Amino acid sequence: MKEVRTYFHVDMDAFFVSVEELYDPSLKGKPVVVGGQSHERGVVSAASYAARKFGVHSAMPLRTAYQKCPQAIFVDGHPDRYREYSHRVHDVLESFSPLVEMASVDEAYLDITGTERLYGPPLRAAHLLHERMKKATQLNCSIGIAASRLVAKITSDQAKPNGILWVIPGCEAAFLAPLDVRKVPGVGKVTEKNLHLLGIRKVGDLAQLDDGFLEERFGKWGMALAGKARGADAGGWFDTEIGEDAGPKSISHEHTFNEDTGNLEQIEATLARLSEMVGRRLREHGLEARTIQLKLRYTDFSTITRAHSLPRATQLDTEIYEEIRELFRRNWKTGAPVRLLGVHASGWAEGGEQMDLLGEDRHQKWKETMAAADRMRDRFGEKAVSLAASLRGNFRERTHENPVGLPGKNREKNSK
Amino acid sequence: MEFTVSKGDLVRELSLSQGVVEKKTTIPILSNVLLEAADDRITLTATDLELGIRCSCPARVKKEGSGTVPARKLLDYMRLLPEGDVNMKFLDNHWASITSGRSRTRIAGMSRESFPELPQMPEPIAQVPVKTLASMIARTSFAISMEESRFTLNGALLLMRPEGLTMVATDGHRLAYVQAAPAESGSADKPFRALVPKKAMSALTKLSDDAGDGAMAIVAGDDNHLFFQIGHRLLITRKLTGNFPDYERVLPKDHQFMAKLEKAEIRSAIERVAQFADERSRAIRVQFNAGEVRVFSSSVETGESEESVPAEYTGPDIEIGFNAQYLLDFLRAISQDHVAFELKDQKSAGELRPAGDAIADQYRYVVMPMRI
Repeated sequence: MKEVRTYFHVDMDAFFVSVEELYDPSLKGKPVVVGGQSHERGVVSAASYAARKFGVHSAMPLRTAYQKCPQAIFVDGHPDRYREYSHRVHDVLESFSPLVEMASVDEAYLDITGTERLYGPPLRAAHLLHERMKKATQLNCSIGIAASRLVAKITSDQAKPNGILWVIPGCEAAFLAPLDVRKVPGVGKVTEKNLHLLGIRKVGDLAQLDDGFLEERFGKWGMALAGKARGADAGGWFDTEIGEDAGPKSISHEHTFNEDTGNLEQIEATLARLSEMVGRRLREHGLEARTIQLKLRYTDFSTITRAHSLPRATQLDTEIYEEIRELFRRNWKTGAPVRLLGVHASGWAEGGEQMDLLGEDRHQKWKETMAAADRMRDRFGEKAVSLAASLRGNFRERTHENPVGLPGKNREKNSK
Repeated sequence: MEFTVSKGDLVRELSLSQGVVEKKTTIPILSNVLLEAADDRITLTATDLELGIRCSCPARVKKEGSGTVPARKLLDYMRLLPEGDVNMKFLDNHWASITSGRSRTRIAGMSRESFPELPQMPEPIAQVPVKTLASMIARTSFAISMEESRFTLNGALLLMRPEGLTMVATDGHRLAYVQAAPAESGSADKPFRALVPKKAMSALTKLSDDAGDGAMAIVAGDDNHLFFQIGHRLLITRKLTGNFPDYERVLPKDHQFMAKLEKAEIRSAIERVAQFADERSRAIRVQFNAGEVRVFSSSVETGESEESVPAEYTGPDIEIGFNAQYLLDFLRAISQDHVAFELKDQKSAGELRPAGDAIADQYRYVVMPMRI
């Protein structure tokens, strides 16, 4: 019999908005939308609770948010600020338990199994953490406590805002049953619709079905769904234990132009900038990518992706950029306005990197240069140093939940 | 045009043009072979615009002229005919009628007007033994880059210098260098250097297989092309453009340590151990110890393997990672029984050479290690 574990899911309340409020206290209590100006392209990164009352939610286009809540204050995202606060949050969590897994910039799982002698029973421990968090970061969070990460995550959502909720082991099914199926992590619009078609609306409905039926309808995912309905950590997301780090499978950055452009210089500068961002994260994770992929979206939303495998894996901005520029030049309908560009790196080199006979010196020099540039960026911010080619491609980094240097997700294997 | 030719002659010359004919028919005429009859010979020409070949064989020409027919189809059909004479007659609609014994065929051809014109061979600049060329190609072509984007590395550098004929190929990870003995280098009016594409090299190998022992290749070149005339066969290739890397800088000037090994032993040891190397990186570890060389591999999926081979080695213990395939390419290319493996440290290029007495030419193979 498996030992009963105790997990916390710590979720910061309206994280981006709360951080903005620390910088501008006048925003407090008002409808605030973070992500960009109301007329801009792009989507809402976060909305304050006051704005949510008007139906504004994250991932909604900014222009739609404006229609729903014209009086909202629109604020540009500041990824640097969120990163900094994310680091602070991580520090608090780390000081509380060594088993921390940051799931994104503003939420984390903690395994606190066996800490009773240190912190007392789970609820008491959670209160302690909640107070420490507020004291150290001035931010509110909500904590869900359960015997599985899945239930802990659902629980913290129920505890919001600024609350703590514990689902006592054995009561999971009763707790989950009345919730909408959509609350189950991994159930999105499509699965929800399919479940609704079957007359399944609540998690309780789902739990009553037999596994075979779900598997038949939804394949492997159906099995995971069945497990989830009973409150078990199932289906991919929770394959590894907290503290084990599977590392990222790919790293990518995208940019949507405020106005579509067919200007080659601007496009290539943007590609250079994106290459730099990808290179930076590769180095942070100590990874070298073998495959570089371009994503290209035109005005009519037609989108192509083109990938190329390198003879030698890389983590250097210059090499990524050379590759991506080549891919772009080969595949662009010359002159056609571009809406979105993306640079995607994957296929990590595992052991045994072939050294170069001809370019090894140059490669080593670039490696050292990039390491020096990274140190400057660490101290002076992301824009402190950049490739000349990317200078014209300096766009505001969009705020999303998996930014550069997510603490607790780093794999600092090769970093020197 | 009408002529009669021996089936054997035609099949032999047609086969030589097969490697050149465009396989993917982006331009249909490039799948065709141009046949020209004049002066009791027929001349066959094939090209893919990068590489061209012109061969000929004796024929009884009844009416001079020219025409084109699909090369592959013609060869496949000809091969199936019994030995003997074949009569070919071109009709007004560009079709050709082929008669041999009791077989009669009409093959759909195309007008010769659209067949590309091949450049004229300029004044010769050198004469080199065909066998020398072929042996240099066999010892360098495996080191040519498969990466299409590195186009200056998609061929080998051919040099005629006072020291002798030299060929160099590299893919950026390893480099093969052969310098023929002066006696086998042929002769040239003046030094020259040219980048020969890989496809031309395999065509030269094929021509060499069919040439006699003492056959010479007459070499010529213009700004864009290289010409190799071997007997009545002419190979024309576009030169690769761009700067070939400075290979002399890459060839190590000195090494600190040397291991002398029996080729057959180290080759089979690596072949076996490499079965358990990571399939993509092909990485193995080579450990140099006093009196022996050990090779190791391990892969998460398949397992691990090691082997030890006696060696004349007196240097310190060093372990270096290598791509097993790169080492095997060299070990399979040499005819000598012993090899010298020279090295410095984990990060510097290693060099392999055939070892032994009475080696007239110079063959050097430089391999960069893998980080392990």
